[in-house]
Amino acid sequence: MDRMILNLIHRPEMVPEYAEKVTGHGLAEDIARTSLLTESLDIFKTQQRIAHESGLKTTIQMTYASLFSDEAVGLAKEHREKYGDEISLTFLGLPCREFRDKYNTKEFCIWMFSMEDKKAIVRDVFEKFYSRFGFYPESTGSYYMDADLIKHIKTAYPSVKCAVATCWEEGPKAYHTCNNSWYTFLDGGPWAPWIPSKANTHVPAENEEEDSGIVAVPHLSRDLIACYDGNGSNFGTHPQNVLRGMIYKGGKYPYLFNLIDQFRYQARFNNGFSYNMMYVGPGWMNKMGRWEASYKLLYKSYADGCAYYGKLKKQGKLVDMTMSEFADYFRRKKTYTEPECALWRDILYGSQKQVFWYCDPFMRTCVNMDQGGALIDLRPYAAKLVRPVGIGTKHVQDASYPYLIQEKYRAGYFTHYAGEGTVRSARLVYKGEVIDLCLCRTKAHFNRKGKQRVLTLDPVNIEFSDLTLKLQTTITFEEGIGRIRFDRRILEMSRSGEEVNIDEYTVASYGTNEYPEDMTGLVLEMGKGGEKVEIAYEYKCREKMLECADYTACVLPPIATRVSMTCEGREKRGYFKEGYAFSPMFTLGFTGKLRDKEVFTTWLNLERAD
Amino acid sequence: MAQSGKGRLNYRCPSCFLRDLDVDMFFDKEKREYYCLRCQYTGTEADVLRKNKMIRFRYRDMLKRYAEDSFEKFED
Repeated sequence: MDRMILNLIHRPEMVPEYAEKVTGHGLAEDIARTSLLTESLDIFKTQQRIAHESGLKTTIQMTYASLFSDEAVGLAKEHREKYGDEISLTFLGLPCREFRDKYNTKEFCIWMFSMEDKKAIVRDVFEKFYSRFGFYPESTGSYYMDADLIKHIKTAYPSVKCAVATCWEEGPKAYHTCNNSWYTFLDGGPWAPWIPSKANTHVPAENEEEDSGIVAVPHLSRDLIACYDGNGSNFGTHPQNVLRGMIYKGGKYPYLFNLIDQFRYQARFNNGFSYNMMYVGPGWMNKMGRWEASYKLLYKSYADGCAYYGKLKKQGKLVDMTMSEFADYFRRKKTYTEPECALWRDILYGSQKQVFWYCDPFMRTCVNMDQGGALIDLRPYAAKLVRPVGIGTKHVQDASYPYLIQEKYRAGYFTHYAGEGTVRSARLVYKGEVIDLCLCRTKAHFNRKGKQRVLTLDPVNIEFSDLTLKLQTTITFEEGIGRIRFDRRILEMSRSGEEVNIDEYTVASYGTNEYPEDMTGLVLEMGKGGEKVEIAYEYKCREKMLECADYTACVLPPIATRVSMTCEGREKRGYFKEGYAFSPMFTLGFTGKLRDKEVFTTWLNLERAD
Repeated sequence: MAQSGKGRLNYRCPSCFLRDLDVDMFFDKEKREYYCLRCQYTGTEADVLRKNKMIRFRYRDMLKRYAEDSFEKFED
């Protein structure tokens, strides 16, 4: 197995998130309280000690507040010299008396400030950093770094080459878990390191021209099944998050180590590359304990996590790098269009569910083998959507990249009473019986053929009342194109002369959360040669069909996206469906015929609308 | 009746936790019970600790350790 890369990051956060709220309950707010500052620095020292005792180097992300502490600055210098740690700079931990006096706000999320304030804060923190260390940092970060912010930093401080730039799937789910009080709407991004485009941080750059100039890493390495369904904060390479989820018993938490190992396993699908990031804020090692976990357990879990990484390093299975070292390594290792792939299994719930995540400059998507290879999430990166965030923009908080398909927010196969949910699947029809592949549980195997990543699903049995057949699905992702190919092949049939109908469909919508957006303005279209059928979306539940269509498509101006389906198959017919107010979706599809040993092929294509 | 405060730890409401909501509870020292501001749960420290472990029913593989090469091996 190839060696996994680890970024272990600490920050001396003088006023840790949670600490003031938790330990200071019943006291008037005072973020300059001596006891708070002392404890915070003690936690940072503890984290550094644990890492070094485990034989690991760290990236020390200095917070703005910590730049005013001689002790924190001295420690960073000492550890850089002694252990090879990198001294970096984070936009987390802005709150301190100096910041509040200057900006007159309690805001602390850099991506939500106005652009004017972002520029001023960047200047303040970078220049303060320079005044303390005599050089500018090579890495930075926050929970999210919007494209305009990255562009400004890269222009003003070109030494920066790496940033913590998103928290994977931290959006409405985290918001809900925090009693609707945690405004990090960051869904729809990559789960593993990437080179962000200038247009949109979530979207990997397609080429040098689009390159923002930095390598981005996600905040934590998160469980690609558990985090998609539940509170992201419980299921990542963050030992105390695992405790938060109560995923331990008797001081044992093998899940944490399974999670690390499953990330190591991803090297098989990514040309030998696998990666972990651990970044625990000091608030999580509060001396008073955290929720139900005592300080003793919080400490133990962090020590055990570091010790496991240290053990892997000693075994030659892991390399620890600082963030800037990693940026250099990543640029040598990856090409722009090379996708990130993850064949991921459930390691927690005992369901044996398996999914496949794919991310490249044209899309991020998820295939669910528990639903016969249905696409359950689709982000059209091909649109390279420019979507500024922060005060003064249309999206003050919402930094998520919009979906076309999101089965949790907008239902998937199952809906209540009426309407449809977003999903890309297929149905087989025979003598009035309909069987959807969403109900055919299976597993997949990955292989690479040149520029293609191919998922071959184990065949599934389709049982009609008087006909059975074995069907195999193959899904091919073509690098650098923005296209997914689906092949459905009948391997066996109980009566070989019979014929079944197939309906390949995509139910989609758009948005960034659970609630519907205005579908007015969308255009559904189909074409064959010079013939074109087109309607503007008006919630009228209209359906159109075209024999032997070349394509069926929807143009979504609000997200600058054109999504289409094309087909090669016997007796193919293209169609689209409009949807209605109770079911604000659209459907694209192709129907056709299949006999034993035949194949029906469709493509899902993503483009920028204009 | 005097105001409530935080308890020994900032325990979460077990009922809310089971619906993926992390809501800190407050402690009524006169009744010696924790209570939730969001829902109707009330309980002693022992009850909170016991019920917050109920979420583990979901985690059937919580204590299973996977071998390094077993992530594509599925039981029948």
